[in-house]
Amino acid sequence: MGIQQTLQNIEPHFHKGGKYEKFYPLFEAVDTIFYSPPSVAKTTAHVRDGIDLKRIMITVWMCTFPAMFFGMWNAGWQANTAIDAGYASMGGWREAIMMTLASGHDASSLWANFVLGATYFLPIYLVTFVVGGFWEVLFAIKRGHEVNEGFFVTSVLFALILPATIPLWQVALGITFGVVIGKEIFGGTGKNFLNPALTGRAFLYFAYPAQISGDAVWVAADGYTGATALSLAFQDGMSALTDTFSWWDAFLGFIPGSVGEVSTLAIFIGAAVLLWTRIASWRIMLGVFLGMVVTSTLFNLIGSDSNEMFAMPWYWHLVIGGFAFGMVFMATDPVSASMTNQGRLIFGALIGVMTVLIRVVNPAFPEGIMLAILFANLFAPLIDHFFVQANIKRRVKRTGVPAEETA
Amino acid sequence: MADVNAKGVLTAPIFQNNPIALQILGICSALAVTTSMSVSLVMALAVIFVTAFSNLFVSLIRNHIPSSIRIIVQMTIIASLVIVVDQILKAYAYEMSKQLSVFVGLIITNCIVMGRAEGFAMSNTPGMSFLDGVGNGLGYGFVLMVVGFFRELLGAGSVFGITILQTVQNGGWYVPNGLLLLPPSAFFIIGLLIWVMRSVNPEQVEDNEFKMKENTKPKEAV
Amino acid sequence: MAQGNNSIKKVLIVAFALCIVCSVIVSTAAVALRPAQQLNQELDRKTNILNVAKLYEPGMDVEEVFSEEITARVVDLDTGEYSEEHDPETYDSFEAARDPASGRTLSGDQDIAGLSRVENFATVYLIGGEEDPEQIVLPIRGQGLWGLMRGFLAVEGDGNTIVSITYYEHSETPGLGAEVNNPRWQAQWEGKKIYDEEGDLSPEIHLTKGGASDEYEVDALSGATLTSNGVTNMLQFWLSEEAFGPYLAKFRSGTEPEDAEETDTNFEDVEGA
Repeated sequence: MGIQQTLQNIEPHFHKGGKYEKFYPLFEAVDTIFYSPPSVAKTTAHVRDGIDLKRIMITVWMCTFPAMFFGMWNAGWQANTAIDAGYASMGGWREAIMMTLASGHDASSLWANFVLGATYFLPIYLVTFVVGGFWEVLFAIKRGHEVNEGFFVTSVLFALILPATIPLWQVALGITFGVVIGKEIFGGTGKNFLNPALTGRAFLYFAYPAQISGDAVWVAADGYTGATALSLAFQDGMSALTDTFSWWDAFLGFIPGSVGEVSTLAIFIGAAVLLWTRIASWRIMLGVFLGMVVTSTLFNLIGSDSNEMFAMPWYWHLVIGGFAFGMVFMATDPVSASMTNQGRLIFGALIGVMTVLIRVVNPAFPEGIMLAILFANLFAPLIDHFFVQANIKRRVKRTGVPAEETA
Repeated sequence: MADVNAKGVLTAPIFQNNPIALQILGICSALAVTTSMSVSLVMALAVIFVTAFSNLFVSLIRNHIPSSIRIIVQMTIIASLVIVVDQILKAYAYEMSKQLSVFVGLIITNCIVMGRAEGFAMSNTPGMSFLDGVGNGLGYGFVLMVVGFFRELLGAGSVFGITILQTVQNGGWYVPNGLLLLPPSAFFIIGLLIWVMRSVNPEQVEDNEFKMKENTKPKEAV
Repeated sequence: MAQGNNSIKKVLIVAFALCIVCSVIVSTAAVALRPAQQLNQELDRKTNILNVAKLYEPGMDVEEVFSEEITARVVDLDTGEYSEEHDPETYDSFEAARDPASGRTLSGDQDIAGLSRVENFATVYLIGGEEDPEQIVLPIRGQGLWGLMRGFLAVEGDGNTIVSITYYEHSETPGLGAEVNNPRWQAQWEGKKIYDEEGDLSPEIHLTKGGASDEYEVDALSGATLTSNGVTNMLQFWLSEEAFGPYLAKFRSGTEPEDAEETDTNFEDVEGA
């Protein structure tokens, strides 16, 4: 047990009064990677399972793996297909790695696709992790709290909702904004009211729209323009969408889009684990889903001559754009979502309704789920407030004792 | 207000008691007009002019203003001054007034002007009131210029219209940050500015409304 | 003192005196500065026109160059003839479009630029003499992404080759749609052709994504699909037979609309009616 021994030996230096007192958060982060933290839920009233924040976060992190690996393959496949069709590759060091490891842009080779996708996604993830981690540690040291595994989740989610070709300096800026403005200035993990990953993406979306939206950014081949399924429907109507992609393509993920968002199936595999382990709230997911179905059906019934998006049925809304990813991984973020059970349903429904509203009637933004979730994040405390107050009233009625005295 | 001295009245509102950063007044116009520094400057001058002279006039007649209609009297004076400023800008600085559009008119609703007239000019001599108006206008202008500086430099790559960072659209290397051209970005910049000012002057930090639980309790060294 | 101040008499006197003083100051400012303001507005419009015609240089005497170089005429959009009915100095086409007597409502198919109503007569600006103008400056407007965009299009004397385009009023997203006024983007309009060889009144010019490949195409604004669509639509509308199509056709076929007899007849007809 060399590691444990070493860690235990050096631990006192990091405690209050020790010479590395300031760096306790760093020590703690390393320590808890190897061993379970000193404080876990212990008393019988709360323990159903020996779970702690770390295991929750690691589970969520692993749940993104199907979407992540499929996304890497798909990013490579899209690019290799375009390059096969005569477009130039983006060149640079990625091309060098590609040639060394896969020796060519063969769209039918699983390995070639995967390697090419990885040369785009892994640098994004690495930059997110290093830059975001830097801010996390800086604030942890400054404020004397510990580095939190929540950042694992934030960083992977942030990296997965970016297009493959985004410049890396923008990734760094985006995660900086997400972590600092979206989380740390409110006091760090657990005290932020916005989802940090989405805050970072929203920042990039408004600051550098040319690199994160439009038609040219999704496929990593020079000069190739491939609209996402969503913007295709947005610009040219439902028939253009169904002519280009089949529903199964979109469900399985053979469409251009942000790395982690394309495959609804892979996302649902992650969702199944999250629901089975009860880490994510099924109420939120159900709320988002129902809100979307009801609103899109309503638009289908109303109909419109000038706006093609009115005609998009719910099963298409489900599989294109970031809807599935947002519903499963973003909306269920336990910190920024509603805390009460009924509140979670309302919170989810608000997201579903707003997503479709933004997608269909907003003239400027084809994608709606990001803004919808941020919007609902703002309302989560209010929604909770109403349900908590209602509960208090009900209890007073039942017991005849004011809430303060029962506690 | 026994120790009202000229220097304090003039300079205090710039850093120690800044109307935007500390009192959080007059934010609306700070969001709208700060896309470029030259527009911010004209707006700042207009506000300095209006606060200074409204304070002066209100103070001059303060002993004759019936308390029952004092707010209306102040509003009338402020509104007249604003209209005069607006007309002058339209006549002699047309380009600027086009960019400022309705926001010159909206100085009337700027809480700083009204707040100083009611809070200071009603109970101080004309000279002091004038200086207080200039000081508060300067404090407002200072924030406006800082916000304008960051928004124009990072959003359009220039300062006072002079290109500093050549943008990609014009063949340079700098990718302008589009968020900073949109009004909400001023919120972030003002917020960060307040953060900086309060780190420098910790006495500006307000008391916590409630105590937050600490994330961790560091252990004592053995 | 406070007691005295709050008497009804004092309240009325103060209120009255204040109103008098303030209204005098405000109205003096408004009246005294009115000429300077109107001059500014006029100057602004003329600068925009000179700008689109590429005649503007900073520091020039706008008034003088404008009166030397530019002739304003009012065109009947229906026939493409000049009309003497309206004075180009005072005619406001924006107002006219709203008035049922001088404008018409567009049907859904015609109204691609999202105007809902259009005027019957429009002011054009001719550069280099009326007889054989070097350039024709046309006012255009239409819906962009967030609202109405108003601007000018300068066309060469052949009624087909574009000189430049500029927008003096729009509310597009800064950094995206607002790039319509980026000189680099505007520069690529020069030399583009409006109509193809067939000689009909349907304009070919449009914005396209991913690089313009012929003389009827201009690069779309990157990241601003809807603003680009708006620009295309407003050009398609204003250069079609609904608007300036018939007028420009005269220049293309070589028969100048400046047919003195015909114009005069029109004029007399109107007078007689």
